[in-house]
Amino acid sequence: MTIKTVMGVFAAGALALGLASAAMAAAGNPIEARQHCMKANVKMMKVMVPVLKGQAAYDKAAIDAAIANAEAACAGWNEWWGEDTKPGGAVETEALETVWTDKAGFEAAGGAYMKGMEAVKASADEASFKAAFPELGKACQSCHEKFRKAED
Amino acid sequence: MLSAPRPIGAAALPQHTPDIANGELLYHAAGCLSCHKPSPDLANVDANLPAGGAPLKTPVGIFYPKNLTPDRETGIGAWTDAEFVNAVQRGISPSGEHLVPALPYTSYAHMKVEDVLDIRAYLASLPAVRSPDRAAEIPAPFLLRRGIGLWKWVGLDTTPFSPDPAQSESWNRGAYLVNGPGHCAECHTPRTALMALNTAKAFAGGPHPEGTGKVPSLRGLIDRGRYTDAADIASALQYGEAMGYEKIASGGMGQVQRNISQLPEADIRAIGEYLASLTP
Repeated sequence: MTIKTVMGVFAAGALALGLASAAMAAAGNPIEARQHCMKANVKMMKVMVPVLKGQAAYDKAAIDAAIANAEAACAGWNEWWGEDTKPGGAVETEALETVWTDKAGFEAAGGAYMKGMEAVKASADEASFKAAFPELGKACQSCHEKFRKAED
Repeated sequence: MLSAPRPIGAAALPQHTPDIANGELLYHAAGCLSCHKPSPDLANVDANLPAGGAPLKTPVGIFYPKNLTPDRETGIGAWTDAEFVNAVQRGISPSGEHLVPALPYTSYAHMKVEDVLDIRAYLASLPAVRSPDRAAEIPAPFLLRRGIGLWKWVGLDTTPFSPDPAQSESWNRGAYLVNGPGHCAECHTPRTALMALNTAKAFAGGPHPEGTGKVPSLRGLIDRGRYTDAADIASALQYGEAMGYEKIASGGMGQVQRNISQLPEADIRAIGEYLASLTP
């Protein structure tokens, strides 16, 4: 087995695990599914940001695995925003009312995230990864500015 | 500590040759654009010009912050330096009205007057935009403004910032930026029953200025595991959530962080050093 195959198997395994957990989350409460997706995004950032800050070496396989994990955890995203999942319900959420009052804005913010993810996914080396990342980071930031509850 | 909230006379202003670059830096540190951004009606105006008029919702009503560009009629082009300093550091308008402390003159009062004049010079260097004044939508404005005049006796401390010789130069720079132009205390410090900043609990977190929710404490950021060290705080302020720093974009802080990110790195590090020193 070459290193590449081992990596491939590892990535496939991670992807399968991610898919399984996303499916489990989706079967439960949509708010929990959203949180599961966001936690996977946090995990992904923790792989990417140290590379950008020069605190970790660029590792394409690790980045790809983190992306695959986030994508799997967030599959089903569009179905998780029913009227019964607004803030103030039984399950606590950090989503703001603006998600429902500014649907077009929220969709655009999701689109910016997808575009950022695609660009990072398409990056093949350290330089192109570093060039692609800021757009993804900005997508996280600008969506949270408008649609996420403030820290207490 | 409290001194009378009297206007500053033109003769009391120092002889000063304005430094526009310093004014621009402090304009960002003071976050002027966050509130004085152009009204949505001004579709063709550069969003980075402080043309004013965008609604600012507060618990006492809706304000339409002033046009800070040098337009003589609708902006501040015709203001004298003394009028500018009095508005920014004493909350007194050129017509002698008490301004509502949504304009954080309670923090700007601690600034060096030369720095305020530098901001004035920077604003004067911007293109003039016509952006007519719009009256605030507040119930009983007359009573409110009279009330503010009285409130200034407890709420407006005009003591200038004085450096702590026991601390480093950088710490003192951070303390100045945070307590003066940065006006961080306005949201991050709780208030007394009289709505004055409760300085005994400085930076322990306060009510959200828009009326609902809270603004987090800045004390013990490292002890609480929020950040690893001063450099980490500085990095969070420089890059924000775009670099994975959690919960620094929501609640209005995103805009504040973007303003801070315009400062020179040494200043951002100084802010980090000062904030890291605030004990739990």
